[in-house]
Amino acid sequence: MTGADGVRPSTEGKTDTAADTALRHQFEELALPHLDRLFRLAVRLTGTVQDAEDLVQETYVKALRAFGALRESEAVGAWLRQILTRLVFDRHRTAPREMAVGDLEELDRFSLYDLVWDEDPLPYSDNLHTDFLAQFDDEEVRRALLALPEAYRVPLVLLYTEELSYRAMAEMLEVPLGTIMSRLHRGRKILERELWEFAKRRGLVRSWNQ
Amino acid sequence: MTTLTCDQVMKQFFAYLDRALSGEPLEDIEQHLEECLSCCDKLAFSRTVDAFVKARVPEGKVPEGLESRVRRALELAVGRE
Repeated sequence: MTGADGVRPSTEGKTDTAADTALRHQFEELALPHLDRLFRLAVRLTGTVQDAEDLVQETYVKALRAFGALRESEAVGAWLRQILTRLVFDRHRTAPREMAVGDLEELDRFSLYDLVWDEDPLPYSDNLHTDFLAQFDDEEVRRALLALPEAYRVPLVLLYTEELSYRAMAEMLEVPLGTIMSRLHRGRKILERELWEFAKRRGLVRSWNQ
Repeated sequence: MTTLTCDQVMKQFFAYLDRALSGEPLEDIEQHLEECLSCCDKLAFSRTVDAFVKARVPEGKVPEGLESRVRRALELAVGRE
């Protein structure tokens, strides 16, 4: 039986294959039109087409199993994006990625602006900071972004591409508002530090600061 | 109204940039920025870095065959239950 909102109630406990197939068809009709947007989000979060394909498939399978929990068919797109995002974000809880985030107070004090100013890697530039950024190619920036642990990268990508408010992001990821605030702050600090490390490896800045 | 130091502003720097502040915390930072050229410059640079990274977030088109692959996975998932 289908509810007035077009969403079928949970079939938990039923073993009727015909009912399962009907449910799957209903799910596909509702959910598959969101494939494009989901895939784009998956690429932004994972960085590769292959990983994004796997993530999208995992999202749809998980969503089908939880289909009974969807109350409003109009919310299916946001619901799917939440499932996909949580699959990535929750990875850091079960298998935290190794990254030398280091001393947090030191990280909070890190300022790419100050370092570029002090190092003056482009002495003849009238727009030092902008010209410093222009030294990086697109792939280096992507690598710096993808090097961030999921705990920092997911909120940052959501901010950049989904343009969610802090509150909406906190609800989506089911973490306190203060956590979102600190992840977006430190995520950018780590990213700036990664860019600085790239600059050192590329020889854009002198080695005495290493 | 509280008079903030540059270090105190830095702690809420990105929340300000993301328009996530309101009320007194927002007013305190705005007051500081009216008087501190250095923080204004840092703010402008952070905006530039944000736009720079945002423009380079990975993008990709849906590969042909993904929808079929998903449909097959869903069919198998139902079969396993």
